[in-house]
Amino acid sequence: MNEPSVSESAEIKPWYRRELTIFIAGSLIIAFLLVLVSMALYNSSGAAQLDLSRPGYQSVQSEVEPDTFEGFPSDGPVTRGTLEQFKQLYDTQTKPVTDKNVFSPSALDGKALGIDDAPVDE
Amino acid sequence: MKRTIPRLAGLIVAAVVIGAVPVFARSSGTMTDDHVARIRTNCHLALATLSQIHANDAPVYVNRNQTYYSISAKLMTRLNSRLSLNGYDTTELSKTAATYNSDLADFRSAYKQYDNLMDDVVRIDCTKEPVGFYDKVADARAAREAVNDAVAKLTDDINRYRSQVGDFESRYFALPGEKKS
Repeated sequence: MNEPSVSESAEIKPWYRRELTIFIAGSLIIAFLLVLVSMALYNSSGAAQLDLSRPGYQSVQSEVEPDTFEGFPSDGPVTRGTLEQFKQLYDTQTKPVTDKNVFSPSALDGKALGIDDAPVDE
Repeated sequence: MKRTIPRLAGLIVAAVVIGAVPVFARSSGTMTDDHVARIRTNCHLALATLSQIHANDAPVYVNRNQTYYSISAKLMTRLNSRLSLNGYDTTELSKTAATYNSDLADFRSAYKQYDNLMDDVVRIDCTKEPVGFYDKVADARAAREAVNDAVAKLTDDINRYRSQVGDFESRYFALPGEKKS
């Protein structure tokens, strides 16, 4: 009986070896692509800006107020009293957001940050 | 194939050079050595301030966004729906609500842009790239101004809607002796 040659012994390695490698590599590639897609969605949808579990924001998480406002009923009759009730709800809800200068650009002014062109001691 | 790789490399180099020229020209044209030195000296303190501003902005945005959304979804939309169901003309109120929703989308988009720019600013090594840092701060300032403008528009919409509800009330439910609008 003849001994198998070197090339023949290479061919008889387990059948699943090649498939398993492809399967693992394929899974990793698909997982990587899914992570890329989800990160792109996370950033493009604006969810990132609402996510205060990001590094650097833990200290301000407590400043977020839960939304407990139930709103105005969308059905029922319309009377003067209904409108008065609406106006009261509306005024209460809009009061915290009436400050127009909350994102004033002067906070990032070069002078305020000490990076403007003026000499330090003038 | 052999020719493709050098061509691709050439295109990439050209794109980088063309992209870099305006940034270089924008900063180096007006910036003196003293100014660059001043930025380099003060930038760590500026970065700490910017990081603090960036962190403080986040809850303000989250709270504002939530309140703005509830004004639209839980007040404007519901009142418009209720008035329509009762057969009233809500054209003006609906128009203002639509403008408000569009301005709310602009606010979110403007804040997103600002937030991304601030992320870039606080990550930059300002001692190595003082000019780039200065430019990024200028970009972030412009983006912050856009957010502020969006807030002002939303405030105007909110006030207009409130005033229209008052007009509606005077038109349909005026008390005896009260002038109808």
